[in-house]
Amino acid sequence: MDQYLPIVVMFVLAVGFVVLSIVTSKLLAPGRPTPAKEAPYESGIVPTSEPARRFPVRFYLVAMIFIVFDIEIIFLFPWAVVHRELGAFGLWAIVAFIVPFFLSFLWEVAEGGLEWGPVSRSRPLTDEHRTTTSTVRLVGMDGREPSEPAVRDRPAEEKTNEKEEVVT
Amino acid sequence: MILAVELAYWQLLVIKVLAVMVIVPTATAVIVQTFLFKMMAHMQSRLGPMEAGPHGALQLLADGAKFVQKELLAPERADRRVFFLAPVVVLLSTFLLFVVIPAGPNVVAEDLDIGIFFALAVSSISVLGILMAGWASANKYALMGGLRAAGQLIAYELPLVLAVVGVVIQSGELSLQGIVRAQAEGAIFGVGLIGQPFIFTQFIGFALFLVATQAELTQPPFDMPIAESELVAGYQVEYSGLQFLFFYLGEFGAAFAFSALAATMFLGGWYVPGLDVDGGLISNLVGPAVLFVKTMLVAFLIFWIRFTYPRLREDQLQTFAWKFLIPLALVNILATGVFKVLF
Repeated sequence: MDQYLPIVVMFVLAVGFVVLSIVTSKLLAPGRPTPAKEAPYESGIVPTSEPARRFPVRFYLVAMIFIVFDIEIIFLFPWAVVHRELGAFGLWAIVAFIVPFFLSFLWEVAEGGLEWGPVSRSRPLTDEHRTTTSTVRLVGMDGREPSEPAVRDRPAEEKTNEKEEVVT
Repeated sequence: MILAVELAYWQLLVIKVLAVMVIVPTATAVIVQTFLFKMMAHMQSRLGPMEAGPHGALQLLADGAKFVQKELLAPERADRRVFFLAPVVVLLSTFLLFVVIPAGPNVVAEDLDIGIFFALAVSSISVLGILMAGWASANKYALMGGLRAAGQLIAYELPLVLAVVGVVIQSGELSLQGIVRAQAEGAIFGVGLIGQPFIFTQFIGFALFLVATQAELTQPPFDMPIAESELVAGYQVEYSGLQFLFFYLGEFGAAFAFSALAATMFLGGWYVPGLDVDGGLISNLVGPAVLFVKTMLVAFLIFWIRFTYPRLREDQLQTFAWKFLIPLALVNILATGVFKVLF
């Protein structure tokens, strides 16, 4: 354990550095807290409720798979150090060890455990009979002569006028 | 020992640790001044800070003096103990990271047998500090930022560590000195002119390590935990004065440390052809300069990416880590293992 002595010393000195800095700051800095300074900064909007204390439950799955990978890593490092002595046997053993882990990871991905995007809506947003071709035809030709200039080329007021005419 | 005077073990120990204590803020200052102030400014056709010192070189001293004089505030509903401890946890993890990085055959605070494993383990402690900061602030932006940081840092922890396994397989050692020696004594197709920097054989590992480092340091394009346009400043929003400085010291100190780790593992570390790997005065004097140049090269890459790409979306970030980087890292390990064992 001799090797770890510098780390302990480093830890102690770093804590000392922090304490010293904080003491210096306490001596030099003003200490005049006001309610406005102590309010949580939420872009100038006064918070009316406690911050939410909730995680998405799905994150639990991520944490689980992280621990699984952590365990895998703990066993990968010793093998990486002694793989010369173990030779081909060690390689096959570590492959046999990784493959089940990776399969469970694949299963989680397939089950959607790692999907973070917005939840897909159960109801489609548009009429399901509406296709690209029908939409394009409706927009392009509705209430319009083919020889007229395109709507987007005219000034904005004219566009609104035309729309009203179509409605009446 | 290279020194003419024989020093007792404890004297040497104190000197080494004090040197690390000096190096951490200095390295952070160099990184921030060179890249965050000047390189970013020139890439964006600005000048950056110009007032303090020649070409703004003393800007950080002015900033530090300013930060020390700022009032330390905690929001009224904050969990005060955890709130004040959080930046300290981040800072401690950065300080401990520097202990194992070798800059010469004898220039290292402690060459642990499990050097690289220790570095990765200690670096991940900063996640705790960030989560503590987000949780204790009693601010919804801080909480969201803290949770985002936790999700991001555990997702990118895995490719980071898995990328290192390839290097360990090649060198057969976890000690960083051992990894440097393995690269110095290696040969490319039997030609040992420049040794064998692992970037040639572990290029995928190097790329994975850089991408994961970018995310671990929460540098753009992976800076969702402190996304200004969404969360004001995420977990940092309630911190002022010295506490805020600690977070910055932790973040950019870790940027230097990770660049140095990447340089050590993939670019040959402090070794260049011509140096004596096993010791000697010249190696100990030239080694730190070589490591510094290589570290700045890697840091340049990290900050170049930072200033170039826009921010990702949170779910894109998670998908990228889990569905692309981690399987790629496993394939890299398998390929390395097969090549090393069967050929």
